[in-house]
Amino acid sequence: MIQLYHVYKTYGKDLEALVDVSLHVQKGEFVFLAGSSGAGKSTLLRLIFRDELPTSGQILVNGRNLIRMKPRAVPHLRRMLGIVFQDFKLLRDRTVEDNLALVTRVVGMPGPEGRRRVAQLLKLVGLSHKAKMPPYKLSGGEQQRVAIARGLMNDPLILLADEPTGNLDPELAVDVTRLLLEINSRGTTVLVATHDLKLAEEAGRRTVFLKKGRIVEEWP
Amino acid sequence: MREKLKHIFAQALMNLVRAGWGGLASIATIGMSFLIIGIFLLLVLQLNALVAKWREEFRMSVFLEDRITQTQLEILEKRIQNEAAVMSIAFTSKEEALASFRRELKGQESLLEGLGENPLPASFQLKIREGHQSPDAVRRLSAFLSRLEGVEDIQYGQEWIERISSAAQLMRVLGIIIGSILTLGSALIVSNTIRLAVYARAGEIEIMRLVGATKAYIRAPFLVEGMLQGSLGALLALGVLFAAYRYVAATFNVASPLFSTAADRGFLEPSMMATLVGGGALIGAIGSSLSVSRFLKA
Repeated sequence: MIQLYHVYKTYGKDLEALVDVSLHVQKGEFVFLAGSSGAGKSTLLRLIFRDELPTSGQILVNGRNLIRMKPRAVPHLRRMLGIVFQDFKLLRDRTVEDNLALVTRVVGMPGPEGRRRVAQLLKLVGLSHKAKMPPYKLSGGEQQRVAIARGLMNDPLILLADEPTGNLDPELAVDVTRLLLEINSRGTTVLVATHDLKLAEEAGRRTVFLKKGRIVEEWP
Repeated sequence: MREKLKHIFAQALMNLVRAGWGGLASIATIGMSFLIIGIFLLLVLQLNALVAKWREEFRMSVFLEDRITQTQLEILEKRIQNEAAVMSIAFTSKEEALASFRRELKGQESLLEGLGENPLPASFQLKIREGHQSPDAVRRLSAFLSRLEGVEDIQYGQEWIERISSAAQLMRVLGIIIGSILTLGSALIVSNTIRLAVYARAGEIEIMRLVGATKAYIRAPFLVEGMLQGSLGALLALGVLFAAYRYVAATFNVASPLFSTAADRGFLEPSMMATLVGGGALIGAIGSSLSVSRFLKA
């Protein structure tokens, strides 16, 4: 599903964010990218959703070569991906429901179908009763669940999460991780970047360790 | 598709309202620029109309010697008629000249009483074809005619037309230069207003890109907002210009009959007004693209 071959990413002259990274993620797999901040986790994710291009190396996502992809095709790549961030990136000036509905408008999902999808996902993340609330009235864990629901709006093949629990209390972090595992059990490939080794350990899934831009270890 | 259009226009209107004073300032500035452009346009059009009218009415008077004989007169008329530049020729006898002079002096005919004999010469009035009205051509014709037998003097008010015509030309050049500068300025101001709108929605734009919005989808509402600002500005300018024009035309009609003829042609033609409004929209679109493109690239 995701294949990286000898990927290098260098910023400026000598800031090496990624060094010779090769990584294969199978369809339906759940993978943690672990490492301290600055290890290159976020950079790796950004390369996968083609926010940036690698300095060298090849990247394939669902069989598509991102290096040769025309900028015009990027929106279609993004529609196959769900992306979740540490800071949720929810819009304060509209309700939870409207935050999700934004996606339906962007991809041109017709009204009734879009509304059904919003309701369905809010139910999945257990927030149907807060649909009409503005996000800032929700707890951090709830906001992250809204963000995850938004990430699932396009029914993505892959869910990318960059420190999804970074802003959350330990219990809420476990909740969110459980939700991600559940999403994975429904067939979505999930790739989670985290600095929280304990969380990865408890989940017991494949974990890839990054240090100074290199893959240094892998479990199991 | 209809959903999308509705969304685009709703967003654009919402942005414009949110822009508040900034949006108004943007519209007003475009309006100001277009007002100045419109004034030049009107002036040039009026002057051109005046020149065209004068050209059409342009006559060359060929005054004849008193001692000219009937035969000489007939030969002279034929020769003049044969000139390519001459469209038509009309004869005014000494008596007709006096009678018409008398009419012009209406109420003060007593001035003429001291005159023993009729001092006014007979003359031919020549209508000159438009292609032959250049200063050189007229001068050549005049020189030629003055050498003919029986011709006393030649008169024409051609220099005036040339002067007005070159004034119109100058106005047009000035209008184009000033108009271009103002247009560029307007585009930059729209660009700035839209830039603020883009920054105000930076978060939303980021999310839209992450969930797979095309650039066109993100750009469209801002483009429409820019076009709205531009066309509203142009409309505002047309409104002010029209009011001012009505006022000025009315005043001039009373004060100077000279201008009334040109003023008769009315305000700008509908096609021209449409072009101005369309131009405003175009400038708005360009200004908007400048900002949004820069933002989307970053």
